Amino acid sequence: MRILIATTHVPFIRGGAELLAEDLRDELRAAGHTAEIVAIPFKWYPPEKILDHMLACRLLDLSEVAGTPVDLLIGLKFPAYLIRHPNKVTWILHQFRTAYELWDHPLGDLISSPNGVVVRDAIRHADKQIIPESKAVFCLSENVGKRLMNYCGIESTPLYPPPPHAEKFYSAQADDYLFFPSRLSNLKRQSLVLQALAKTRQPVCVRFAGTAEEPSYARRLQATARKLGLRHRVKWLDHVTEEDKRDLYAHAVAVVYPPLDEDYGYVTLEAMLAAKPVITCTDSGGTLEFVVDGETGLVTESTPESLALAMDNIWEKRDQAKAWGEAGRARFHQMGIAWAGIIRRLLGQTV
Amino acid sequence: MRILIATAQVPFIRGGADAHAEGLKEALIASGHQAEIVAVPFKWYPPECILDHMLACRLLDLTEVAGTPIDLLIGLKFPAYLISHPRKVLWILHQHRTAYELWDHPLGDLIERANGLQVRDAIRETDRQLIPQARAVYANSRTVADRLKRYCDIDSTPLYHPPPHAEQFYCAPAEEYLLFPSRLTHPKRQSLVLEALARTKQPVRVRFSGNSDRQSYGDELKSLARKLRVHNRVEWLGQVSEENKRDLYARALAVVYPPFDEDYGYVTLEAMLASKAVITCTDSGGPLEFVRHEQTGLISEPVDESLASALDRVWIEREQAKEWGKAGHALYDKMKITWPDVVRKLLS
Repeated sequence: MRILIATTHVPFIRGGAELLAEDLRDELRAAGHTAEIVAIPFKWYPPEKILDHMLACRLLDLSEVAGTPVDLLIGLKFPAYLIRHPNKVTWILHQFRTAYELWDHPLGDLISSPNGVVVRDAIRHADKQIIPESKAVFCLSENVGKRLMNYCGIESTPLYPPPPHAEKFYSAQADDYLFFPSRLSNLKRQSLVLQALAKTRQPVCVRFAGTAEEPSYARRLQATARKLGLRHRVKWLDHVTEEDKRDLYAHAVAVVYPPLDEDYGYVTLEAMLAAKPVITCTDSGGTLEFVVDGETGLVTESTPESLALAMDNIWEKRDQAKAWGEAGRARFHQMGIAWAGIIRRLLGQTV
Repeated sequence: MRILIATAQVPFIRGGADAHAEGLKEALIASGHQAEIVAVPFKWYPPECILDHMLACRLLDLTEVAGTPIDLLIGLKFPAYLISHPRKVLWILHQHRTAYELWDHPLGDLIERANGLQVRDAIRETDRQLIPQARAVYANSRTVADRLKRYCDIDSTPLYHPPPHAEQFYCAPAEEYLLFPSRLTHPKRQSLVLEALARTKQPVRVRFSGNSDRQSYGDELKSLARKLRVHNRVEWLGQVSEENKRDLYARALAVVYPPFDEDYGYVTLEAMLASKAVITCTDSGGPLEFVRHEQTGLISEPVDESLASALDRVWIEREQAKEWGKAGHALYDKMKITWPDVVRKLLS
């Protein structure tokens, strides 16, 4: 089959969604199909620009190329998943969050614009009308599916992808640090971890790997760490290679990953593959579909005090941490998270 | 600088334009910049679809990303080069040709449609208005620049660039074949070469490498070869690896490349880099900016007998062909076609 994967392109920023689209393309090709990614640039501010980019997507025609049909379109991200196609499947990684659950959240930016309500309603209307044009609707996680149902009344089936290079992760003897790999951003909540570190009783150390979209944000985080007296307990590794990242997972005591309402969270799965326990929070979203409190890690309230207790717990009880980590890896395999099944589901609904 | 390269994407079909964009990206990164390609899908039929895709491009905003500006936008292909940006430079690979020089050509598809004329005029009007908004306008070749001047009265500067992996081409002793490496499509005129082969006096052999965009066209060519009874003097190699391709160049007696009105033509440059003579035609466009008749190859009329004479000549005069090939390589070096030079001009 000739398959196009429609996703969104934010120049110079590469995250989980880009990796997933590439993995999907490569797996489809390995399964014998012809597959290519169509990535539409997207700028979401000021709010009226969102409407422009939505319209741009509706104007594109991906039904055929030079006389030969495109058999299937797989839509992944807003607004690219609005592109028309007679045989479309949507695998929603997440909707445009500031029009939904982040609307009146401190991190919501749409609400503060004069035309924010109008644009928000246009986005919701488009999603409600257009997503059901698909032959089948999938979602990245139950968390994403729940939002889609709550806000748009649309049913979808969760489809869990393995993280990139899943087979390359490994476990090793733990050194003396917790690992937090992620883009540095408000939503990932590195700042919460810093606040928690200031309250631990144990000399817990954390290594942060990742860069910020805006360099000033990274500097602010580092200043906060210094102000809290944590300079010798945190390491800012900035960008690391995939190989180094896997090594950091392998030698961590545990992974601390408490994002706010994460759609999915490759980090959780990578930690499981490296047989490391995960510390996450009750409002972390997607991670909760994988972390079992007291069995494969710890789930705490998203307050510095609670998170500090969890980090102390893991830091002190190393044997327990190791056992939980191994239980996490067993759970990954037991959950059957694999590309073969995903491709079968995505292609299964076609004519 | 943070630089975006805007080009059009035709899914599943990879041609020179893709290699061009990637080469530019690599060159910009090698010069210390951040560069990324923005590829907007483009379907050009039915004609009204073109207008939709033009509008889609005008709606996209590439001025900044997450608060940080994009310093420069380099537009390469229609309609992606219509994307607006306060600091835009165009390096036009070609305009939408069936709205211009291919309008009333056998290969023109717009002219046959009821709204073809209106769409053609919309394209022309848009190009005339929006191309000059760029700070500088470069063209893939003099051929492309001449069309831009003739139809839109817009001045542009030809800017040549190296073919992909230019440094990896090499020369070896010639064997008994001419090479024609290209996608199998009408404008490349593999069919003309077949017709010429039917008129040669010498047992000239040709190896065609490259896939057809449409399976049926490849079959048509093979049928034609059989009909002309030249099928046992030609080989259809299909898609070959880059390594194999360079090997085929290296051992060829010469390269035959007579496309119709080619914009630029990597093949010509690759032949020069492999020190091989090039046989092309008087209406081939881009190649004529590089091939010197009876110095680095032969330029013939695009007619079977004339091309046949040229093929015969190269087949017999082996030493001459070898000299022409060497001269071609020397000419390439003299023309100083380098990526650093391209980057310097685009960013100046």
